[in-house]
Amino acid sequence: MIDLNIVGAKGAIAEEAEGKWGMVIDQDLCTGCQACVAACAMENNIAFVGEEDSGYGRSMHWIRIERFWEGEYPNVKMTRYQPMMCQQCGHAPCEPVCPAFATVHSQSQQVNLQVYNRCVGTRYCANNCPYQVRSFNWRDYADERINAAIRTLKNQYNPDVTVRRRGIMEKCTFCIQRIHKAEDKAKSEGREVADGEFTTACAQACPADAIVFGRIDNPKSLVAQLTRQRDGVRHLEELGTLPRVTYFAGGQ
Amino acid sequence: MSDNPAILAIFADLDPAADAIEQLRRLGIHDNHMNVISGVPITEAMLGRPNQWTNVPRLALGGAGLGMLTGIFLAFVSPVMYSIQVGRQPFTPVPPSLIVIFEMTMLFMLLATFLGVFLDSFFPNYRPMHYVPEVSDGKIAILVECPQEEGAAIKEALKKMGAESVQEAEAQHL
Amino acid sequence: MSDTQPHLTHAQEHEAKLREEHLMLDPLPRGRMNEMVMESMRATTWKFWLVFAILSVIVAWGLFYSWGKMILEGLGIAGVNRPSYWGIFLVNTVFWIGISHAGTFISAILRVFKAEYRRPFTRAAELMTTFGLVQAGFSIFMHMGRVWLSYWLFPYPNQRGLWPNFHSPLSWDLLAITTYLLASTMYLFLPLIPDLAMARDRSTGWHKTLYKILALGFRGTEGEWAHLRNAMNIFAWAIIPVMFSVHTIVSWDFAAATRPGWSSTIFGPYFVVGALHSGMGAVVMVLAVVRGTMKHMKYFIRPEHFEAIGKLMLIISMTWVYFFFNDYIVQWYGGDKWTQQLLHFHEAGPMGWMWFGMLFFNMILPWAVLWNRKWRSTPWLLFVTGLGINVGMWFERYIIIPVSLTINRMPFTWRMYQPGVEIPLGIGTLAFFILLYMAASKLIPLVPVWEVQEGQMAHSFKTYGRETVVTVSELE
Repeated sequence: MIDLNIVGAKGAIAEEAEGKWGMVIDQDLCTGCQACVAACAMENNIAFVGEEDSGYGRSMHWIRIERFWEGEYPNVKMTRYQPMMCQQCGHAPCEPVCPAFATVHSQSQQVNLQVYNRCVGTRYCANNCPYQVRSFNWRDYADERINAAIRTLKNQYNPDVTVRRRGIMEKCTFCIQRIHKAEDKAKSEGREVADGEFTTACAQACPADAIVFGRIDNPKSLVAQLTRQRDGVRHLEELGTLPRVTYFAGGQ
Repeated sequence: MSDNPAILAIFADLDPAADAIEQLRRLGIHDNHMNVISGVPITEAMLGRPNQWTNVPRLALGGAGLGMLTGIFLAFVSPVMYSIQVGRQPFTPVPPSLIVIFEMTMLFMLLATFLGVFLDSFFPNYRPMHYVPEVSDGKIAILVECPQEEGAAIKEALKKMGAESVQEAEAQHL
Repeated sequence: MSDTQPHLTHAQEHEAKLREEHLMLDPLPRGRMNEMVMESMRATTWKFWLVFAILSVIVAWGLFYSWGKMILEGLGIAGVNRPSYWGIFLVNTVFWIGISHAGTFISAILRVFKAEYRRPFTRAAELMTTFGLVQAGFSIFMHMGRVWLSYWLFPYPNQRGLWPNFHSPLSWDLLAITTYLLASTMYLFLPLIPDLAMARDRSTGWHKTLYKILALGFRGTEGEWAHLRNAMNIFAWAIIPVMFSVHTIVSWDFAAATRPGWSSTIFGPYFVVGALHSGMGAVVMVLAVVRGTMKHMKYFIRPEHFEAIGKLMLIISMTWVYFFFNDYIVQWYGGDKWTQQLLHFHEAGPMGWMWFGMLFFNMILPWAVLWNRKWRSTPWLLFVTGLGINVGMWFERYIIIPVSLTINRMPFTWRMYQPGVEIPLGIGTLAFFILLYMAASKLIPLVPVWEVQEGQMAHSFKTYGRETVVTVSELE
């Protein structure tokens, strides 16, 4: 049932509950190389949609590198690259609006879950996400009749992750399959998961170590230490979403 | 009701019909043995008839009660039976529950009202009934049940009050 | 009349003029009115069948073929993308629910307010409610990614251990629209029963069997009338809060979300008034067409009705402008930077023409036409105004849904929405609406004759001194 230690007196996730898994992204280190995007796509069996659909805003990437510029031509300056993925909000606005309960809050892992086989595709969750990080399967992108190149790409599919069909919403899961694998292994060995024992695909692939993933409720973890060292920012936290990703920018 | 012969008189106007009903009462026919069939609703008071009792409002109220209980069940009990946690709101929040309760109350109330018409009027009724098609053309028909002996006298009285036609009512398929 | 009787007094002339203007003062024998209504139902020309055939083709292509294709291929052939996850499907849903509100307004609110002029067209309006809700239902099912699993949204005991989420405005939508659809269909059927009995008495063959079954054995006894009128009274009063709640709940699909421009507290009443606005425009279009194409309808539907509806349309238009300006000025004045960016995008972005078009059709056109009594009484002019209002209201919902979704708090995702298969699907629902209406006009009597006669019984002339006036008795 519901753990009242995590769930506050009113039933809502308590403000004080800082969550379990979190991330730190250092925008000073990020080079915009998109290795995280590629790694995430490979780890999570994300189909690629082709040029036309991608140009129309239908790319399926669970993490994207946002690029902005400041100023007017010719005095244009690039700003820092901003990797954006699901913030696994403590107070996720996507959760209450799904009529089918396809996006719910995991009490054990404190992340926002997307339940593929329950989704009927109303896309209210995507409309309500302030970070716009949800991807919808507009077509059967994993079907080789739609996407001929998938025929060989199928060989590198991750067996731990479902391949989604059309009509389903998906998003970054903090590589929950890796979380489960590590926790299962640790449990069978009768111990806790050690910090750094595993990490998400994007953090693993980043050549600059700009993404750090771990237990934010454990003060000894790298993530928690980094958060304490610098002043970070959480995007759109004024909306009351309680995001679990902290961004560093501007040095200290 | 079908043992005693029935007489059907057709009137074209309201006043002669009201007079005829008064006359019938003077001849000793009880209000229960009279029925008025019309193509337009004529209030009982216009014809000097006793008020018609209807169960529809009580059924509507009962429906509303049932609906409210259903709404409360959907809003407060069913989430406990299928407990799934979503963030940002208490488990059984009050404002969305009010919406569910309101809609269910209205739905069941109106369903009960509709059903009430069917139940009270014994709809659908495809058995042979006393009826003449002239009724839907705006005529007022008075259906009288009386013992055989008085039949002739009543027919005479009705004709004198201005009935367009007076005949033995035959139950026929509509 | 002045030719045959050259010596009419002034009072008699005045009476004759009133009689010509007002249906309620111009009674015909009930049998004659019944005959007229039955004839208008039966008389069918080749033009009717031609239009029917064309519409059937459009429905087959636009609705069934296109939807089948979309179910097989996915929503990719529609225009929705990130960030406009909702597009014309939702616009059409809100549009059709809006149209359906007019029927309830006329048959319920005008009945409660004892507006006698409603009598000849309550059924024509109520039919719009039922058929409009059918199209809204189509549109909402169309927008789902996996529509074949939509039954999961209904609360029923199952072995999956799952239940719909009643926190979600979409679940409230389901309850509200189901309630409204059932309630308005029942409210359409109850006053129809006596007219079905009349049709049964005047038909032969399969028509008679159909009416006999549907009329449920209604005769018109005191008991039957008492139950029927009591029920109609309850419905009239109860369906008004249902009507208000339905479009308010639809508005909460948007207002409850966190998007800039959507999270506006005024959406509830704003949408209800918007629904009445487009609905009354649609009613007047339907009445103009019915009056122009069906036999004998010129007796039942007169310029006085257009005049009365036109007055209502003007008031509703002003109310709409009031709510629109309310919403606009508070966002313009004190809105956060995203909301202000959105407002600027509405007016000055690529869809700015639609925003100005909305203001023209919803405000300028009605205000320019409907103030004048003579113009209000002209059916074709009101048809054009009603059409304009419906275009304007469709624009308004397009602005609120896909255009507003383009601007959000993540500028990297901003992208225009371009409709794809939504267009044939939308045209298909429109054609289906007209098709259903045409079919209904041939199967059920469009004018509630018993209500017209009831009203005519209550109206008469009374002389005060030298003046002849119309009086209405309260028969109920």
